[in-house]
Amino acid sequence: MPDLRSVTVHVLGPLVGEMVADTCVRATALSLGKTADDLLPEDLPTLEANVRRLLGPIAPTSTIDSLIADIEGGAV
Amino acid sequence: MSDTAVDKRSVISRTTFAVAGALAALLALFYLLDLQLYAETLSDAAYTAVYVYGIALQPLIAGIILWVAFSFAPGESVRRQWMLIGIAVTMFAIGDVIWMVLELFMGLDPYPSIADIFYSLEYVFFVAAVAFAVKAYSGLVKTRIPLVIGGVVGVVAVAIQYVALLRPYIWAADSGLDGLGVFVSTLYPVGDAIFMIAPAVTLALVIRQLGQGRFAWPWWFVAAGAVVFGLADSWYSYADWAGTGLTAAMDLGWLAANALFAVGALVARDVFKRT
Repeated sequence: MPDLRSVTVHVLGPLVGEMVADTCVRATALSLGKTADDLLPEDLPTLEANVRRLLGPIAPTSTIDSLIADIEGGAV
Repeated sequence: MSDTAVDKRSVISRTTFAVAGALAALLALFYLLDLQLYAETLSDAAYTAVYVYGIALQPLIAGIILWVAFSFAPGESVRRQWMLIGIAVTMFAIGDVIWMVLELFMGLDPYPSIADIFYSLEYVFFVAAVAFAVKAYSGLVKTRIPLVIGGVVGVVAVAIQYVALLRPYIWAADSGLDGLGVFVSTLYPVGDAIFMIAPAVTLALVIRQLGQGRFAWPWWFVAAGAVVFGLADSWYSYADWAGTGLTAAMDLGWLAANALFAVGALVARDVFKRT
């Protein structure tokens, strides 16, 4: 099963670039006191909250909902 | 063909290609007709028709941007950003219509006039749009350095305007301008530098950090449009004051700039779609 970091970067990368996508993951990991590679499926709610917070100002809610669904589909 | 090329083609809708192509054709036609207008080969009726045609394109372009902006849900940040750009172009279009009525139909000298209020409002709404966009990306990428570099570029551009235009012509003792004339004539070249070129550079440096990310695509068109606007408008001011002659390319510059904003709006509509 692909790890949460890879899935997130795979889903968000084409839209915001891989570097920014990784920033979303690292921000989540930092808030949980983990490294990006240590994120687990149970960390998804925190990741989703971070993705919504960071992408909310630059993309419509419906687009973000779709991205989060893709991340959930790939990570769980 | 590269994967990136295939990717871009599949993301951008046929509607966007069709509307962008139609806009390009309309602008090309205007340019060809405008060349005849400047060559003074047109009859009075044809002159009026070309003049009105060129002016009518600006509300059309503004309408495209506003149509895209309204397609985003109320309360969305992206709606506000594109609404501000749409309003900016609408202000310019209103200024153009007023200019046309004063000059073409009333036989008055439209400079300076109420049209200048609307022309200058494009700066206000455009800067607001870019400010919101840059702030929106501030959580994802670095914005401080782009802001500083944009500011430096703006200062340098103002210095060039001062040396080339303001000191020798507009602020010269024999310019023949009253206080209002000096203010308005100064506003445009300085506005082009501070409110178009500088924000365009800042915006470009911010979205550049997204690499190939699609969410950056619309803003590249906006940055390009702002640079075209700033250069065309500055070129017009210089040509007018230095007496080097006005050209059809200058008229095309304003249209092309706002058309680039419209294409950016259409691309924004596409990149946010998820299938």
